[in-house]
Amino acid sequence: MEDEVVLASSSTDAAIGCWDLRSGAEHLRYRSCASPSHGLVSVAGRFLASSQLRDSSSGSVLFWSWNKPQVEVKSFPAEAINPLACNSEGTYIVGGGVSGDIYLWEVATGRLLKKWHGHYRAVTCLVFSMDQSLLISGAEDGSVRVWSLLMIFDEERQQRSGHLYEYSFTEHALPVTDIVTGYGGSNAIIVSASQDRTCKVWSLARGTLLRNIVFPSVIDAVALDPGEHVFYAGGRDGKIYIAELNSLGKSNNNYGLHIIGTLSDQSKAICSLAFALDGLQLVAGSEDGFVRVWDTKTHNIIRVFKHAKGPVNNILVIRQPPALYPRTSANNQGLMARKQVSLPPPLEKFTSIDEHSDLSIYIPPQPDYQRPCDATYATVDTMNKQINELQQRGSCGASEMEIERLKADNKRAMQMIQQWKKMYENLHQFCVGDLLSGEGDTSTV
Amino acid sequence: MHKLRVIEKLRERMSDEDKVVRETLYQLLKTVIFPAWKEGNQGTFISLMMAYVFNAMTHLMIDVRLMAFKTFDLVIQHYPVSFSMFAEKIIQHYKEILQKNQFNLHDKGKLKSVLAGLAYCLSLLPCNTTDNNSSTDNAVADRRILHAFESETHKDHSGFSSAEKELKSLLPILISGIQDFMPSCLAMETQSYDCVLSILKSIDLVVKFFVNGKGRSAKQLKVSLPSNGSDQVVLQKLLKKLFVLFPLNPTHQSSEKVENRLFKLNVIVSEIFFCLYDWSAPPSVFLDKFLVFIIDALSEKVVRSGRAFFQKHFLSLIPFIPKLVMQVDNAWKSHILQAFTEVFKKCDPESSMKLVCLSAVEEMLFIKTSWVSPNTSDSEIVDFQISWIREIPLLLTLLGDKNPLATKDVLRLQLHLAQCGTHTQEVDNMQYTLREFYSTCPCDGDISYGPFMKLEREIQELSVCCLYYFSFMDPSLLQSVAGCCLSHDLDPSLLFRFLEVLNCAYRAGHIQIADYISFLITLLSRYQVSSESGSLDVEICVKSNSELFRSVTSAVCSCLHQIGDDHLVFKMLEGAVVDQISNKPPLENTCALLRMIITLDTNPTKLCEQSILKLGSVLTGYMIDVVSSLGKEDCGLSNGIHTSRSRYYILPCFLLFYRSEKILNHVLNVMSSFILGNDSPTFDGQNGHVVMIDHLNRITAVVGILLLMNEDAKVWQMLQCYKKETDSILQNILTVMSDGDNLRIEEKHRVQCSYDRLKRLL
Repeated sequence: MEDEVVLASSSTDAAIGCWDLRSGAEHLRYRSCASPSHGLVSVAGRFLASSQLRDSSSGSVLFWSWNKPQVEVKSFPAEAINPLACNSEGTYIVGGGVSGDIYLWEVATGRLLKKWHGHYRAVTCLVFSMDQSLLISGAEDGSVRVWSLLMIFDEERQQRSGHLYEYSFTEHALPVTDIVTGYGGSNAIIVSASQDRTCKVWSLARGTLLRNIVFPSVIDAVALDPGEHVFYAGGRDGKIYIAELNSLGKSNNNYGLHIIGTLSDQSKAICSLAFALDGLQLVAGSEDGFVRVWDTKTHNIIRVFKHAKGPVNNILVIRQPPALYPRTSANNQGLMARKQVSLPPPLEKFTSIDEHSDLSIYIPPQPDYQRPCDATYATVDTMNKQINELQQRGSCGASEMEIERLKADNKRAMQMIQQWKKMYENLHQFCVGDLLSGEGDTSTV
Repeated sequence: MHKLRVIEKLRERMSDEDKVVRETLYQLLKTVIFPAWKEGNQGTFISLMMAYVFNAMTHLMIDVRLMAFKTFDLVIQHYPVSFSMFAEKIIQHYKEILQKNQFNLHDKGKLKSVLAGLAYCLSLLPCNTTDNNSSTDNAVADRRILHAFESETHKDHSGFSSAEKELKSLLPILISGIQDFMPSCLAMETQSYDCVLSILKSIDLVVKFFVNGKGRSAKQLKVSLPSNGSDQVVLQKLLKKLFVLFPLNPTHQSSEKVENRLFKLNVIVSEIFFCLYDWSAPPSVFLDKFLVFIIDALSEKVVRSGRAFFQKHFLSLIPFIPKLVMQVDNAWKSHILQAFTEVFKKCDPESSMKLVCLSAVEEMLFIKTSWVSPNTSDSEIVDFQISWIREIPLLLTLLGDKNPLATKDVLRLQLHLAQCGTHTQEVDNMQYTLREFYSTCPCDGDISYGPFMKLEREIQELSVCCLYYFSFMDPSLLQSVAGCCLSHDLDPSLLFRFLEVLNCAYRAGHIQIADYISFLITLLSRYQVSSESGSLDVEICVKSNSELFRSVTSAVCSCLHQIGDDHLVFKMLEGAVVDQISNKPPLENTCALLRMIITLDTNPTKLCEQSILKLGSVLTGYMIDVVSSLGKEDCGLSNGIHTSRSRYYILPCFLLFYRSEKILNHVLNVMSSFILGNDSPTFDGQNGHVVMIDHLNRITAVVGILLLMNEDAKVWQMLQCYKKETDSILQNILTVMSDGDNLRIEEKHRVQCSYDRLKRLL
């Protein structure tokens, strides 16, 4: 089993806490971070990025590398950014602004690839679907919108459909607080939570509401069970409600339809939830500054981390990045990993106008040091080679194709010649016949 | 089993030559068989019948045919499903009879019923786009398993796709029918007028089916197909003859009735026209004609007879207005908007016209976002939009609780509008009118509640949600909301919902901190907990009330923590709360206010000198009230409940004592002077019913308090340091006893007992 780390950040100015999930040992604390909810991401395990609450006039997004507690890269987008999301390869970072705009940056260059007006009010959460093709955003205006990354860059399709989004769900009456996606790419279900005390389950395939569950309290965080049998909803009343997805709806308790139980230890409001990679341990960040790890099978708390005074509004559970392995255990590799990590440039404020920059291929440093590093290099190399060959038509494959084509041409030409020849022959025959018979005629005359 | 047998026998009579037999059969079916066959296997029954019905429809005798159509109407009315099963065939038959007769061979009465039957059949075509919502609602409720396979039988319209061709060829026949009837219709023959009406209705339904109904199954796909333009073009060509006839004008001086009838027909024709109109194509020659009609109708120039008539029939044209506004050029647009706004404002709030207008308004308010059309200039429409928005809160109060569905729609619109944040200024201005919807407090008198209180829960919740989105919540609205919160008629869960939503709104910066704090204080200080004395069954409901108030208190306290920095909040709140406490509100409210203080206070206390003095003098009275009111109930209740209850009331005082010895000192001093009964600053009886005049009660109360203090180890320990004060209490009791002229022997004895108890402890 791989080691996992739990990362937690808070809305008050505190460090990002980092603990080993299994042993409970604390790693580094990454300093000076006051993140809004959903504002902390690990970019493909390479580094940490977090949007900041502090100066509301212009936003800031900070990067930390794993092995230094200080902020390494600071970027200042055009406005305050609330949620951040990044795709699993770590090529893009998406941020949602307080004006409702959504920004999409390329991590490697920091370029702002696209900015679009997504919502009427501040964006509150952003997630990618499991297959990274769809981006789902929730906002303070209560709408949940589904964006296809293809569509965003495809102006023709936008024109045709008249809007940018794939779906816009407007059934929530109050701000959306959290969204999770299930498995299945664009056929998945998503669960959205809102301050109107409901969680709604949507189908991405049909674009319809599948289920509406009313909770006894405002739900601020949702986590979906990997088997998609149930989902967990953390309420402001400090309980984590368990709502079933797949069985029959019956209300045999006093919580309401579809809610089958709670995890509760009299704590304060739950601000964030995340599943460990094993899909059994549920990590919950609470308003009182504690992070509790629940065993969802036994419904017991198995570990508690003390984070800070303020509410823990972000929880991440990720594979332990190589840089965090102590020097003693994997000395060389650890050092290697340390060397490899160099953070990308800051995110740009505006879309850059210069189009002259060539296509640059970015090869992310391997987060998993156990695999050989040159695998990706090789593929890129071969790709380049093939492109070159195709361009110069130099490869054997290309020449073979060319020969085939020429042969076919040749054959067709030959057939043509045959036809012409035949025609000529006929004409000749006819003329000769005509001439001869004419002669005969004249002779008779 | 034998039922089917009976049918099998009877159906043969369908094409009987004798009129009487057919009549009787019809009556039999109508009165006996169909009502009896409501349940059971309809499918077999229908198929048994239909074959013979069709047979009769092609009978040589025209009367038999007409009867068959009549019978068929009966079938359809009882089993609407049968139309989709035989759609193609049925339409064929209709075509035949309409074509052959040429409408002049037979008396029109019979054709009238045939045409009415056709219109009814066609109304079963899937063409309604509006019923989507209700069906999805049901689907959400019905779906038990999320990932399960969804059966799609119920939305299978495959039967209609084969009927498309028939429907198209039906149109020319219908139109020629209109042409035949028109002269006599204009001459105002009722029969032919009815025929024309049915024909127009049928055309309308067919057109709607082609425009709206057909594409619906395709919309399920992710990529939305371009609307079936080819159909539209074909239909337009077919119906050109109809549009030429428009508008139908009375020939010469005619009565009001005639005009009304023609207006009705004109509305249907324009409905057909706009339904078919293709905005991307170059403008049609007819367009102006129809626009003139719409504008005239909206400004009520056309109809002489009352508004009700106009509204009833013009209803179906309103949904086209948003599209018109978007597409026509500016001169027309402003006219249409002007006329529409007039109608919207004037019509009765409870009428369905208002609702239809409202949905049109909704569509037009969000024009910018839902349409990408370059030729809409915003500035012009904005003025109208604002005037519509101003109608919304008025409408809410006007609607009252009479028409909950309409209220719900209005609230939805309001919420949607507020969510968008496009007309922030206007939405914020809404608040002033919206007060009346919740509650108003004329001049310190009783609160008069608005329609909000009488609405259903679901709708109330919706309106609570609307509160969140005001960018700055006006104190006066907050006050009116607080009025609702204080009402006992409000569902408790809704009260918590108010707290929750306002808390969210505060956190989002929509409410100013001072307003928010004063809202919380108002809630706790003015909420009326029914007095606790009374008969036993009252006791039960009273209990739940005070129970509720306690959970409200704890909810408010948890809100306090979230406001911001505890110290600052405490400083803001201290003065107001202490003032409220010194006003001596009822027991429960005092307790709640004290709890507010201790929630934010720290050890040692942050209370300023002045508030300590104020509190000290009030606290004694409060504690005496607690002890005496509890003491009365004591006999009836078991000990455990009593202690927990007294603990609930007394705990805030004790916590204050921990944090500030000064208060304790002050309280002891007041108590000792209280026993003598010389000065009574604290003893006006906070609850009306606790009035203690005699020394005995005073002494028992004070002793009771000290006994309670004894139960709390920490307070007791502190009390040891105040030997002087406690001694003075003892001394004063002695004085009272020795001075005991005005005490009876029994009383004297009890005072002695109390004294002894106290003496032992001290």
